[in-house]
Amino acid sequence: MSSGDNWHPIGLSHSIEAGSSAGTRLFDQELVVWRDTSGIAHVWEDRCPHRGMKLSFGFVRGDHIACLYHGWQYDRGGYCQYIPAHPDLEVPKTFKVPVYLTQEQGGMIWTTLSGNPSPLPVDRDQTVPVHSLYLDGSAGAAIAGLGMMRLMPFASQDPAETIVRRLTETLYVVSTGDDRLLIGIQAISERRTALHLTICGSPELYEGVGQGHFLDWALQLRRAIERPRPVALTVRGAAAEMN
Amino acid sequence: MSALVLYNYELDESCYKVRLALSLLGLDWQAVAVDVFPGKEHLTPPYLAMNPAGRLPILRDGDLVLHGTEAILAHLARAHDPLGKWLPPDGAGFAVVMQWLNFSAHDLGITIAARRHSLFDTPGDGAALHAASSQAIRIMDDHMTARGYARADWFAAGHATIADIALFPAFALSRDFGIDHDEYPALRRWARRFRALPGFKTMPGIPDYH
Repeated sequence: MSSGDNWHPIGLSHSIEAGSSAGTRLFDQELVVWRDTSGIAHVWEDRCPHRGMKLSFGFVRGDHIACLYHGWQYDRGGYCQYIPAHPDLEVPKTFKVPVYLTQEQGGMIWTTLSGNPSPLPVDRDQTVPVHSLYLDGSAGAAIAGLGMMRLMPFASQDPAETIVRRLTETLYVVSTGDDRLLIGIQAISERRTALHLTICGSPELYEGVGQGHFLDWALQLRRAIERPRPVALTVRGAAAEMN
Repeated sequence: MSALVLYNYELDESCYKVRLALSLLGLDWQAVAVDVFPGKEHLTPPYLAMNPAGRLPILRDGDLVLHGTEAILAHLARAHDPLGKWLPPDGAGFAVVMQWLNFSAHDLGITIAARRHSLFDTPGDGAALHAASSQAIRIMDDHMTARGYARADWFAAGHATIADIALFPAFALSRDFGIDHDEYPALRRWARRFRALPGFKTMPGIPDYH
């Protein structure tokens, strides 16, 4: 998978609550993703410019994230606004964390390491979160595994074919019947990949039982990708074919 | 001396489980500090007389001397939580708490070994301990993902139980043995809720701020 001129999903929107932070990686670069208390998500370099501490170990207060080491507080633009040990200091503008463009779409948080990425496919449909699968191996290997597990329809009971489609380098769709799953591809490193899964559709239809249905599929898919076997797997009484 | 005495080592995550339970249940208790590292005091005759297996925590409750983390948690909940919330009295609530206590005692033992190997250089295959610990923590994350979709915030019931207490330290301390929280979003959400419980306490390795 190439480079940084694309948008990359780095987690499900649902996974980063307001007022919280988490670490992640994209092409081996350490990132912090955090959501301020007003609900806006931010993706930055995961490193406090003071002593190099990971900001993902820090804590969010209002529209700031603070480093766990010495409490340096950074505003939404990545600028340090307050140093507890020097409360009267007007902090120089050079004390700044590199920030990356961030968008939320399809129930995922997206970022790009480029200043000029090609646009995200606009999709304003409602989505419902399923799970993030973290897998050993390259993004290419994870994508190749997407068709390994037949997807049973949820919205309608009629049997239907499982179809895998590529929308962009980092966004795939697995569909069956009336159901569509979005699969965001995160290249954590050359040897580690995350698949972020959401259902396209309304919460009224999919929340609860529907999420459980697709979570079961996701966990079966992960098992199949991690332990590929050349025989049919028996899943809940139904044969799940290896394509 | 208070009726409840915990023989305690501050850096031991199993002792931390009991400290959490005592604090979350709002009980009065006393700690006796045991010099586990480097003193190995828990292997001296007075301690082996209380627990021949040579492990902490040990709890004294009046005349009762009890060892085994999960047994201590169950005893505290049954004897000192009149509402029966921390250990539901019967039915599926009781059974599922027991299932996760068993998971804690059995499957999460590997995380204790991984942490000791990492912090105290006890013998072990670091890579194998890391892989097995990740696997165990992922089982917890998958479970809490599914619980979230069933609109349930806690491992075994509609409220926190001793199962959550028994499971919290392995995740909260995982950075001690090289497992970051990046890949466990459902556990991050659960840990935030756990930290907000009245009476919650940290231990060394778990930040006060989050």
